[in-house]
Amino acid sequence: MESQIKAIHQQLVSKQITCTALVQEKLDLLKQNTHNTVNSLLEESALAAAAKVDAKIAKGEEIGLLEGIPFGIKDVYMVQGTYTTASSDLLKNYKSAYTATAIQKLLDAGAIPLVKENCDSFGHGSSSENTIFGAVKNAVDANLVGGGSSGGSAVNVAKDYTVFSIGGDTGGSIRQPAGYNNIYGLKPTYGRISRYGIMAYASSTDCVGPLAKSIEDIRIVLNVMSGKDGKDQTTYASEAIGEESIATIDGVKTVGYFKNFIESDAIDTTVKADFLAAVEKIKEKGIEVKELDFFKSDTLVSTYYTLAMAETASNLSRLDGTNYGNRIEDKNLKETYAVTRSENFSEETKRRVVGGNQVLSQGFSDAIYLKGLALRDQIAENFEKDFQEVDIILSPVTPAAPPVIGDSLKDPLAMYLSDEYTVGFSLGQLPTLTVPQGTVTGLQITAAKRNEEQVLKFANFLKDTL
Amino acid sequence: MSKIMTVDILSSIKGAKPSESVNQLFDVIRNAHPTNNNSLNNVNINAVSVDDLREDEVVKSSDLERQIIKENFPNEKNGYLVVSKVIED
Repeated sequence: MESQIKAIHQQLVSKQITCTALVQEKLDLLKQNTHNTVNSLLEESALAAAAKVDAKIAKGEEIGLLEGIPFGIKDVYMVQGTYTTASSDLLKNYKSAYTATAIQKLLDAGAIPLVKENCDSFGHGSSSENTIFGAVKNAVDANLVGGGSSGGSAVNVAKDYTVFSIGGDTGGSIRQPAGYNNIYGLKPTYGRISRYGIMAYASSTDCVGPLAKSIEDIRIVLNVMSGKDGKDQTTYASEAIGEESIATIDGVKTVGYFKNFIESDAIDTTVKADFLAAVEKIKEKGIEVKELDFFKSDTLVSTYYTLAMAETASNLSRLDGTNYGNRIEDKNLKETYAVTRSENFSEETKRRVVGGNQVLSQGFSDAIYLKGLALRDQIAENFEKDFQEVDIILSPVTPAAPPVIGDSLKDPLAMYLSDEYTVGFSLGQLPTLTVPQGTVTGLQITAAKRNEEQVLKFANFLKDTL
Repeated sequence: MSKIMTVDILSSIKGAKPSESVNQLFDVIRNAHPTNNNSLNNVNINAVSVDDLREDEVVKSSDLERQIIKENFPNEKNGYLVVSKVIED
């Protein structure tokens, strides 16, 4: 698919459509909430912004490429004055006091937010069923999960309710739902986009990223959101990626894939066959393909969840109902904290907070937490070596097709293990894009740190090849 | 500080117990053999350089920001923001 942003921009400028009509059409679709993607609508502010864009066009003033483009925001981002619930009971009436840097940059470029989107509560899940707003339904088959945790964002894009959406990816939460709904979803290099104003899950792997229907729209939105931010000191300065620079495959000569991902017992036979068929097509184009050794899936998943739980236990300790949130009063402060958290956290959030506190407690921290950190270092070192041999690593997004709604919550361990192909790249802090080709849930394209350009270049190549 | 704190106390979650599913993940780490047990974090370096620290400045919040922060406060009485009874033990 070609860039929807550019197509809409052209329609606005040539007065084929008005921005108000465009925004109203999308709002009408979202209002029906057929797939449980909507936590709250930003109707009033969206229509007011659209009217301003129309006034500018009527006066013959130039508008920017993103000006008037309707988009969605995962409900973990602060947008001043909007409800920001993290799909949780605890924050169901919480309003953002300020706006996240990444979102502010989109607002400054004139994009119009329409909706705060359903997701797993605090990002805790891989199916968008762990939410107080009802399980997100898959865009392709409404009996299946929408994926998670950015499920509402992926489904809104896939259904054309938003032109693009902004998700958050800690261990696969953009890439997996993008794969489940056959769209593009990018987890950039850690630090490329500021995390200021995203509700923290696991701070060392939390990433902000776009979901869209075309590579070009991913590029446009990525460029706008990227950059150093004094409010997130892990950010770095990056160059904008030009459209021309990703048009050809120059510089990609060797592609690798992890042998053990494909030989895993968990992989569905069709996913495996489709992946290997994609590899053959790449070879036919004259690109060398290498098999690579990697860590076992259970090591990757366990390392990721050990560290993510430790970090989320720490990050969520602030949610005690004192300054904000659904406080439930009890006989004293400690009891108020405990009752507030017990009554307002979901089972999955409690499981992760408790797991994190186990990991960080005396006696456990050396045996598990520090060992987990050491394993992460080794995983990251492994990637460094791999990228001396290959330009791109290609992998499936998930071992199988999306599960039926209701199945994932029954078996948390199975849900954690289903993240086996996404979490490694999070631990390595690498740029990874899901493309809707190759297997039933797409393919992941990964390059070395800070090399999003290479990722997008290869995505363009795959679009023409598969 | 020798008092052993259970996970329900550490987590401020009533009746919380370790999960069997999560323990299985921890067992994998327990049985893993990293080449070096001391993380030097020499690959994922994200900390800002001391030469590149941001200015230490006080920025006054906008009136709207202050108003929303007050609105978010769970309990208010006669213009005062009410907190829970302090710890008595």
